[in-house]
Amino acid sequence: MRTTRFTVIGAVSTAAVLALSACAGNATNSTGAKGTIGTPAGAGKTITVWAMRGDLGPDTLNAINTQFTKETGAKVDLQVQASWEGITTKVTTALATSNPPDVFDLGNTQIPSYAANGGLLDLTPYKKELQQGNTWLTGLELPATVDGKLYGVPTFAGDRAVIYNKKIWAAAGVTKVPTTYQALIADLDKIKAANTASDFSAFYYPGQYWYAGMQWVWDAGGDIATLNNGKWTSGLSSEKAQQGLNDFKTFQNTYSSVASRTVDIHKPEHTQMFADGKTAAILGIPTEISTIKKANPKLTDADLGTFPFPGKSGKTQPVMIGGSDWGIAAKSQNKELALAWTKIAASPDIQNNYVFAKDGWIPNSVEYVKAAQATGLSPLITGFFAAALTSKSTPAAANWSTIEGDLSINQLFSSIASGTKSPADAAKAFDSHADSVLNGN
Amino acid sequence: MSPSTVPVASGETMAAAESPRQPGAPRSGPKRKRNFAPLWLLSPAALVLLTITVAPIVLLVFLSLTNYDQKSLFTGEFAEVGLGQYSSIFTDPEFLRSLVRTVLFATALVAGSVAIGMGISQLLTRLGTVMRYVVTIVLIFAWAVPTVASSLVWDWLFQPGYGVVNWLLTQTHLFGDLTDVDWAQDPVLAYLAIWLLIVWQAVPFIGLTLNAAQTQVPEEYFEAARLDGASEWGIYWRVTIHFLKPTLLLVTILSVIWDFNVFNQIWLVSHGGPNNATATLGIWTYKTAFIGFHLGEGAAIAVVTTVLLMIFTAYYIRNLVRSGEEL
Amino acid sequence: MTATSPTQDAPSDARPRKRDTRRRRKLHLGVNITAIVFCVIWTFPVYWMVNTAFKSRPEVMTATPIFFSQHPTLANFIAAFKQSSFLLDLRNSVIVVSGAVVLSIVVGAFAAAALSRFHFRGRRTIMVLILAVQMLPGTALLIPTFLVFNSLNLLGTYFGLILAYVASVLPFSIWVMRGFFVAIPYEIEEAAMVDGAGTWRILRSILFPLVIPGVIATSIFAFITAWNEYLVAYTFMKDQSMYTLPIWLASFSNPQTGTDFGGQMAASVLFSLPVVVFFLLIQRKLVAGMSAGAVKG
Repeated sequence: MRTTRFTVIGAVSTAAVLALSACAGNATNSTGAKGTIGTPAGAGKTITVWAMRGDLGPDTLNAINTQFTKETGAKVDLQVQASWEGITTKVTTALATSNPPDVFDLGNTQIPSYAANGGLLDLTPYKKELQQGNTWLTGLELPATVDGKLYGVPTFAGDRAVIYNKKIWAAAGVTKVPTTYQALIADLDKIKAANTASDFSAFYYPGQYWYAGMQWVWDAGGDIATLNNGKWTSGLSSEKAQQGLNDFKTFQNTYSSVASRTVDIHKPEHTQMFADGKTAAILGIPTEISTIKKANPKLTDADLGTFPFPGKSGKTQPVMIGGSDWGIAAKSQNKELALAWTKIAASPDIQNNYVFAKDGWIPNSVEYVKAAQATGLSPLITGFFAAALTSKSTPAAANWSTIEGDLSINQLFSSIASGTKSPADAAKAFDSHADSVLNGN
Repeated sequence: MSPSTVPVASGETMAAAESPRQPGAPRSGPKRKRNFAPLWLLSPAALVLLTITVAPIVLLVFLSLTNYDQKSLFTGEFAEVGLGQYSSIFTDPEFLRSLVRTVLFATALVAGSVAIGMGISQLLTRLGTVMRYVVTIVLIFAWAVPTVASSLVWDWLFQPGYGVVNWLLTQTHLFGDLTDVDWAQDPVLAYLAIWLLIVWQAVPFIGLTLNAAQTQVPEEYFEAARLDGASEWGIYWRVTIHFLKPTLLLVTILSVIWDFNVFNQIWLVSHGGPNNATATLGIWTYKTAFIGFHLGEGAAIAVVTTVLLMIFTAYYIRNLVRSGEEL
Repeated sequence: MTATSPTQDAPSDARPRKRDTRRRRKLHLGVNITAIVFCVIWTFPVYWMVNTAFKSRPEVMTATPIFFSQHPTLANFIAAFKQSSFLLDLRNSVIVVSGAVVLSIVVGAFAAAALSRFHFRGRRTIMVLILAVQMLPGTALLIPTFLVFNSLNLLGTYFGLILAYVASVLPFSIWVMRGFFVAIPYEIEEAAMVDGAGTWRILRSILFPLVIPGVIATSIFAFITAWNEYLVAYTFMKDQSMYTLPIWLASFSNPQTGTDFGGQMAASVLFSLPVVVFFLLIQRKLVAGMSAGAVKG
């Protein structure tokens, strides 16, 4: 009995070692030589592309695929993931297999960890060809760059601007778009006075909405963390950041409902609150305009307006640039084809006529943004393009995604909004946590 | 993967199996000749368990001795660190805090669900046919709503501003205006909401299981106790509990195992917040292993958790296995 | 409801004493009230889920909750049906769940028979190990299981997912079914042996039919576990045409496209319905099996 037991365990651990090494593979990066993508022949081959629902629309993805099949003869197996819970686990395990999907749609705050840990193909040799003569938006290119190497191709960008309900504003006697902080406050006071329902918010501003909260910190001159000599230092306890956090609290508490102090924008959905007329304004992303119209078909383009959030500093508040990059799995079996696919996705036709024109996102390059502005933007989009001129992004640290994943940054802002912690205490707790996470302890 | 997420069905039948044991019944063992039947009967289960359960467990223990992380998954590179992960866990103040939270909360969950389950079991024996049927159906409904769905329902019931529970409690005028209270953001209320969720789903299993066992108690014992002039309480403690003991033991051990490792409900309701107030060992393991992808450290926490659970339950499991052998 | 209680009492009290009867009646009233209160509390979450699912959009979020919809609608259900591929995911769930149920019963019954009807060395150790395996936190095993499955080429297959679920319910199944085997008197077996029946025949025609309630218990457990499981299904299944229903349900909480409580509750109802139906169907058999077992015991 005894001996057999040991043999069994011995056999099992051999299997375990095999299992570990099976995943190892070789993830050598093709560095050095300048590569060319060209148009690889792919007849009879299929590449797998993982997109996220809510990012690029089906028309855009189809257009990329059609073009790709036309050029290379290869087919595309498009998988659009609709569930976000556990998505990092899914992507991580997929990148670890020996035959992973080829192209991934990765959020610009998520990509640093995949890139830094060797999950993605080094695209540096192909950078010029992928850029196609353009300058990518920094907020998308920077997070995809680790140690000077490029691991992702910018897909699209989105930022936040005020979306407001013209009817409710007009009913309160406000007809002019506020361009200064004082004007905004005065307008919101009027709206607040004109609407007395207990669950009405002049400006619905959920406490966990850290993208919104960070705008105050940036406007006051603070930042989440800064990199000095390879070491991250969190900065929310700084005097400037504290000023921003205090202003955030005052604004949130004054113009948003009590119930909103601790919640995130999705429970309840803030576009739903807007569509139901429970608020006169939200801070939203471009695609949320269509979400609002879908939730309440009575609201039309004429009833809606957008403008960048005017900061206390006198300038507009800096906004967080969100968006995503296309990454190619380091172990992809179809690297050439995957490169050709991402090249098409970043091409002028797709960026101008689909990403911008169809989906309403900000295209991936400065040139496309300018081109879009030159052609004349719809009034609903102008607010977002104006806001994008002063943009910020999260620290480009490999471990940043941990801070988002463990919700400590949500906690920071909701505890400030609800008053369970003073801005100073909340910032102190967050800073020490972020210091240890970002520096990899 | 985790049976702990399911307030499991089935106990009723276990009760049926355990309860026929009568005190002093003769013990009879199988007097079969040595043959290979157990070998081939066990081999399919052994094959499945060795490859799909034991191999991952061995791997888990191995991982806990390394610094395996996201990079290792991608590139296969990792280093053995001996007991490094364990020493960093034991020196982390979060460990003791999580452990205390886990033990206290699991105790509250087991006590609550077993006590209410016992009450329901007793209640069922006192009800008329119609009410009995109604209560059984109600129990089955609560039991059958999958955890994923019930956690969504819980979020909605306790939603600040629009949650019906907040509204109802406000209407009682007992606690003031609770309309805008966010249960997930207050340590005590977060525990309460999660406790309610887990107990709500655990009671049907426990209640029906105990009731199945209770109906097997021979009527004569009650009559005898009644003739002795025992009160209802006295009868319950002296007769019912005596016969329920084996089933109660089993149900309690299973509850301890499941509630100690409970993860889904806590994660879906509070994410371990506010400020880690509801971060039990299960939440800590998940955060370590799947948010930071420190798989080596996560594995070590899981191993420690399991060993602690074994220590806590060793005595009762010995009793359970013994009482099983007696049958 | 209370009307039933006196008639219930009557037969047991051969010589009713007046005082006692009154006390008992009072007790019965209390018992029934307790039962009703319990039912109201325990049904409420289910009621609220169904109630919300049928509400029209403006009725879902109101300062004063609406307990009975004035404008009931199927819109939420229709929207839920359209979201992703409900029918495809349902089919996948049915494949995986039925596979897990059948396999865990067969494999579990064999192992339970070996561990209850035969004496051999190490039996007790195996029993304790089986229980100990249950103590590992499930999430912790995800990555190790992934690594093993990856090296066995089981990822992205129905069979792999079924095996993962069987492995997680097997220890429990063996315990439960073993309890039933143990309760069968050895005399029955001995009689058959005298008749010259072999081990396999005894198992097939005598022992297995007697543990049907245990089989049902195991199937409930395997059913719920497999029906509910999200993270393993999501990480192990590569192709979205092989996703199961929990993944469909999770897509209703998508932070990019937003969600509404009405849609979420409608999806939850659709997701829970098959389990409720399965439970109600099997409950009758379970009760019947239990009473049969009691007679023999």
